[in-house]
Amino acid sequence: MGVISRGVKNAFRNGIRTISITSILALSIAMSLIMLLALKTVDAKISSVKSSIGNTITVSPAGVRGFEGGGTLLTDQNVTDVSSLPNVSSVVKTLSDRLTNGTNTNLTSAIDAGSFGNRQRQQSSSDTQTAPRNLTMPVMVSGTNNIDSLSSLSVSQFNITSGAKIDANSSDNIAMIGTALATKNNLAVDSTFQVYGKDVKVIGIFDAGNNFSNASVVMPIKTLQNLSSQTGQVNEMIVNADSIDNISSVTAAIRQKLGDTADVVSSQDQSQNAVTPLQNIKTISLYSLIGSLVAGSIIIFLTMVMIVRERRREIGVLKAIGSSNALIAMQFVFESLVLTLISATAGVILGFIFSNPVLKILVSNSQTTGNSSQSGGGRGFGGGAGGALMHFGGSAQNTLRDIHAVVGWEIILYGLVAAVIIAIIGSVVPSFLISKISPAEVMRNE
Amino acid sequence: MLKVQNLTKEFSSGDQKVKAVKDVNMVVPSGVFSAIVGKSGSGKSTLLSLLGALDKPTSGTIEVENEDITKMNDSKLIKYRRNKIGFIFQSYNLIPNLTALENVMLPMEFAKINSAKRRERAEQLLHKVGLDESKQNRKPPRLSGGEQQRVAIARALANKPKLILADEPTGNLDSATGKVIVDLLKDLARKEDTTIIAVTHDEGIANQAKLTFKLKDGRLVN
Repeated sequence: MGVISRGVKNAFRNGIRTISITSILALSIAMSLIMLLALKTVDAKISSVKSSIGNTITVSPAGVRGFEGGGTLLTDQNVTDVSSLPNVSSVVKTLSDRLTNGTNTNLTSAIDAGSFGNRQRQQSSSDTQTAPRNLTMPVMVSGTNNIDSLSSLSVSQFNITSGAKIDANSSDNIAMIGTALATKNNLAVDSTFQVYGKDVKVIGIFDAGNNFSNASVVMPIKTLQNLSSQTGQVNEMIVNADSIDNISSVTAAIRQKLGDTADVVSSQDQSQNAVTPLQNIKTISLYSLIGSLVAGSIIIFLTMVMIVRERRREIGVLKAIGSSNALIAMQFVFESLVLTLISATAGVILGFIFSNPVLKILVSNSQTTGNSSQSGGGRGFGGGAGGALMHFGGSAQNTLRDIHAVVGWEIILYGLVAAVIIAIIGSVVPSFLISKISPAEVMRNE
Repeated sequence: MLKVQNLTKEFSSGDQKVKAVKDVNMVVPSGVFSAIVGKSGSGKSTLLSLLGALDKPTSGTIEVENEDITKMNDSKLIKYRRNKIGFIFQSYNLIPNLTALENVMLPMEFAKINSAKRRERAEQLLHKVGLDESKQNRKPPRLSGGEQQRVAIARALANKPKLILADEPTGNLDSATGKVIVDLLKDLARKEDTTIIAVTHDEGIANQAKLTFKLKDGRLVN
């Protein structure tokens, strides 16, 4: 019978106490594990969300969103200034315009005004009595210097159905048109249409996967700048940082460079609707994890102090018959370890069972408090950043619903580590108390 | 074997200091069954604690086999208690969740004797003190008072100590059992050449001792 076996035996000396202590400790350890899993799961989700969002920063003229708002457009010089900032890998510049049939184009819009369109026009018209009730929608045209940048075109897909892509660096009067617009105006590859009195040639026809974009025109930015007499004007920049880690610094640098002339919104700012609830869950999980570990340590600490006080005389006897403080302390440490290992085993099982249900409760509480903070974003005529806002506002709910703890075998390892840490912390003071008990204690009340 | 000179032990009780043992001088030869007698509160148990290095004196010296234990550090005192001293208590003080055999083996475990030898010696000792073999694997709550005290005596002998200190060894026993225990102690003192000092308030036990020390108010009066 060695010190280890004595310690193990002592753990079961009082059956009721053993069951009580291990039950409470198991709950504490289970909560620690659940919170640890939640923390890791949410952390991974935050990384995944940030990775999927990408490292883009949208820069638009201050006060302008698409065709809403007011202010002064950005310039090519602004683009050059931003491109030269550190950690900027690329800048896509865009210019948007509206073409109205009979005014500056011969194209007919492929979109019917409908009740929404008519209402928008009535609200924007100063003369409500003369504003036409049924009107022709404008045709949106976007100029870009990078035809492959989907974000600059505010689309998630861009498939060429016929013809080819434009050379985005060209200044020729060329364009690509959406399938709906092509159909509406009987246009095909090599057809021409009129913009600001000039002929523009159709190089290709695209399908962007939505009616709005398929009713629009895309041309090289220089072409649009020239045709619309907005030479050197830009109404949006899509800036790519070289890594997610540098988004904040690049965003700050752009804000500093452009000052009040521009509104700067990073993809991470936009993703806050999705990320903020996750970070709230992460914070709750972290504090709960710490709280659970502290609670577990306190439980075992108080238990061991109580046991040491109860066995004062016995400790005196052990010292009287030749045991050292270290041996006696080790016996109590093993007793403490047995209690925590039993608790850890039960805690791991409870953790397995309850990790996902608890995570779902945390998520649903975050959804309840997070709903009011969501912004749907506006998508005005002409697209732009408003479209991106809507995308992220809508995906926040999906991100939270999508979260699921992966309970693997490492939970057993975490449980064991938690048990050992709790046992050691809980045994430190009792071990000190043991060393202070005099062997003469055995003679007290003899 | 044991030589005590000018031994004093003082306790603080609030603002007052109480001398439980006052200037005690005594010599106990080897292999002798001795008794320290006195009424309750005379300082017998305190004196025993000092002799067994369970407590430290305020002043004076205690020499056991020419070694002054009052000058030993904690580590040496542990070894002293382990190897030189055996204790027998009034309440037996056996470890309740260990069997009789395991209780006797315990001091040998502290002395780092290997498991097989521990078991063999423990069985021999329990046989020597007259505990039935069938009861060796019982835990103390399932033994009578006399049987528990026999186990305690066997435990005290585990590491072949030179000095056994017994604090009221028959205090919790009936007179018949008490007589058996005292006879056992006397026998062991003779056969094992072990010095036994028994603290008792029982004059009858004192009369059986070869040497008797009377304590009154912390002082030896004889």
